[in-house]
Amino acid sequence: MTSRICKNCGCSEIDLDQARGNAVCTNCGSVLEDNIIVSEVQFVEGSGGISSAVGQFVSADGPVKAPVLGTGFHTSLGKESRAQTLQNGKRQIHNLGSQLQLNQHCLDTAFNFFKMVVSKHLTRGRKMAHVIAACLYLVCRTEGTPHMLLDLSDLLQVNVYILGKTFLLLARELCINSPAIDPCLYIPRFAHMLEFGEKTHEVSMTALRLLQRMKRDWMHTGRRPSGLCGAALLVAARMHEFRRTVKDVIGVVKVCEATLRKRLTEFEDTPTSQLTIDEFMRVDLEQECDPPSFTAGQRKVKMQALEQELAKKLDEVQGEISLYRDEIETELENSRPKLRGIYAAYAKEIDPLDEVLSQASCSSPREVDPEEDEELEAVAQHLNQDFLCQVIQGEQQGDERGGEGVTEEAPPPHPPPRGGPSLASILGPLPSAASLGLSESIHECIAEDKDSDGKSGSGELDLDGIDDNEIERYILNDKEVRVKTALWMKQNEEYLREQKEKEERITKEKEQGTYKEKPKKTSKKREPIRASTAGEAIEKMLEQKKISSKINYDVLRDLNSKGGSGNSSPAQPTSTEEPPSGPPGRKRLTRRKKQPNKTNMGLATTIMGKRLRPLISSATKKKRAASQVTPNLTPAATPVLPNLSSPPSPNPAPPGPTMVESGPVAYDEVAEDEEEEEVEEPCVSALQLLGGNEYGCEAEEEEVF
Amino acid sequence: MEPSNDVALDIIITNVVAVFRTRCHLNLRTIALEGVNVIYKPEYGKVLMKLRKPRITASIWSSGKIICTGATSEDEAKQGARRLARTLQKLGFKVRFSEFKVVNVLAVCSMPFAIRLIDFTKNNRPIASYEPELHPAATYRIKTLKATVQVFSTGIICSIQITGITKFL
Repeated sequence: MTSRICKNCGCSEIDLDQARGNAVCTNCGSVLEDNIIVSEVQFVEGSGGISSAVGQFVSADGPVKAPVLGTGFHTSLGKESRAQTLQNGKRQIHNLGSQLQLNQHCLDTAFNFFKMVVSKHLTRGRKMAHVIAACLYLVCRTEGTPHMLLDLSDLLQVNVYILGKTFLLLARELCINSPAIDPCLYIPRFAHMLEFGEKTHEVSMTALRLLQRMKRDWMHTGRRPSGLCGAALLVAARMHEFRRTVKDVIGVVKVCEATLRKRLTEFEDTPTSQLTIDEFMRVDLEQECDPPSFTAGQRKVKMQALEQELAKKLDEVQGEISLYRDEIETELENSRPKLRGIYAAYAKEIDPLDEVLSQASCSSPREVDPEEDEELEAVAQHLNQDFLCQVIQGEQQGDERGGEGVTEEAPPPHPPPRGGPSLASILGPLPSAASLGLSESIHECIAEDKDSDGKSGSGELDLDGIDDNEIERYILNDKEVRVKTALWMKQNEEYLREQKEKEERITKEKEQGTYKEKPKKTSKKREPIRASTAGEAIEKMLEQKKISSKINYDVLRDLNSKGGSGNSSPAQPTSTEEPPSGPPGRKRLTRRKKQPNKTNMGLATTIMGKRLRPLISSATKKKRAASQVTPNLTPAATPVLPNLSSPPSPNPAPPGPTMVESGPVAYDEVAEDEEEEEVEEPCVSALQLLGGNEYGCEAEEEEVF
Repeated sequence: MEPSNDVALDIIITNVVAVFRTRCHLNLRTIALEGVNVIYKPEYGKVLMKLRKPRITASIWSSGKIICTGATSEDEAKQGARRLARTLQKLGFKVRFSEFKVVNVLAVCSMPFAIRLIDFTKNNRPIASYEPELHPAATYRIKTLKATVQVFSTGIICSIQITGITKFL
């Protein structure tokens, strides 16, 4: 009852007549609804007096393939892709799950996950096996079963990390927060595998205690839980006087020896390891340790700091030593007789250090008398060395500060200048870089952005800052090029050889005309053939397809006149002519099939049958054509098929998987036999032959589809 | 973090990846035979060229697309890229420097304390994920910045940021 109020008069008394399917207003008499849709089940009497309900079952999952009205036949039970995927997935889940010994509830949950995944289109581009494994592992995690991702990857022979990637993605997409892995979950499983007999339970309990201790000592963050389990179990086994070697444990736990040893050493470092067995069972130490990698890192930092301090001290000590040395030297000098006059100048030994120092320090006086010079220079040297030490330290600090100031900002300013420049320049920019330089650098960046925008548009290469000389060095000269060429050729011989072979192969195939360019997917679009009669169409198609010249066109034309509609079949392979010629063409084929009393025919049919399914019908016709072109053509049906494209040699790589190489030979025999048969019988038209085989044909037709 | 803090956290940029185009076809064999620090991989179809001055490794494809990795700052990446283009120019190709963009920046920062990954992951549920079987660090994804942060239990935090197409230098 859809309408309550009449539109014309506003009356609410509406009469619904089910028989006529009308809704009529009782007041004004206007018909409000006609042909009301009725939701009733209708029954139809079938053969044998059985009444059955009219209707179809429609699946609730997705859109159903609309049933073909009239001559539609339910071939593959109307299963659409989605249902097939789900069914397939369910089967695989059960397979894999039973290998892992998961119970039914887990498998059902996994299937639910899988359904969610499929509905979110996450299976696209991923191997089904990976997705299924990920679903199963999700279930394992949420249920807390002791299954590792490693087990799944073992079963599937797939890399763990690939599975892990899929698993993480699915978990993220499905918003499933799986609880973190607790190594304690694995203990019973591994203990069982290590065969402790009656004491398994005790050993497990000890191992659990050990694990908890490890957790408190921060050994378990960032580590594989199986490795920890292995270590705990090993120690527990030893505690209970079971001899389990490292190898046994490794085989069960699936980590490598190095890992296990490392865990054991780490545990050794903790204070808990110092306790005896009894004490351990009774007492629980209060203190916690830092994670071992953290302590390792800290140790490294400490080492570095120590080294730095040592270096500084070394410098200081060196400074002191040189101070003493200088003093001794000065004393010696003073005690030695001195040269006067012009020779005084030559007596001075100029230290290279001196020069550097004098360059560095702006304050080294040079105009002092030569006599006092040496003393003064010694003093100046010493002072400068001290100064330099300070400067070096200052520079380091300055770097750190400079680096700090840059933390949050994008490009750092120019690094503080190093090397021989003056002290002033070293000391100068340090404070500025830290405090003022930042804002400058920011402005620079912004300015640069604006500048370079224009440049990047034009694509010109901005050459400033590029040292051409340096770049020249990157390019080899002729002789070097020759040497390198020879070396490279030698190194990559194999690859070059492969390339040559490939090219040769391609040229050979091109000559033969069998060359198929596999990677190229763009196919030439042919113009649709327009012809008034079928015969013309055939001829035009033949011209286009450049089929063998051995076809007798006269026969073809005769065929047309006699066979009636049967001849439109040859045009079938071209997509343009397909619909009208479809059935007759197939009838042709099936006629061949249906010819009885021919064992060879039987062979042919089986071969043909097999071929029909994977291949498009045209391809199969090609095959028959190929074999039949060579023997002498007789009238009747044989030339019909050969007009299809037939490369001189049989197709080298047909897509049919079931074909055996000996195919062509078989065909030849069949062809000859058939021809003979054809000759014996007078020309019978296809239609006549196929008179009673309508149903059979159409069944074949569906097989092709 | 203010720079004037006493306990300053050093964020060190360790890797910058940038791409640019030369707008011209490059003959890889010529580059391979005439360049100094060059490795040619014909099965992958690319040439690896390493520069010393800004430490950069560049993958060069014959289509003219070049990926530059190993720089320690964005400026350096640009400088290195320009140097590379200049080298190619000298080898005789009509190189134009276009569409330079920084694609990836990797930075490392060290905390003075250790981190409990399991609790951390629990508190930041959908954003953070931790799979000890696969990787020792917890991955924290920031969608707005398009960054992935890896948090290690030792206190080291490693951030990979993908700046994408928006940043043009």
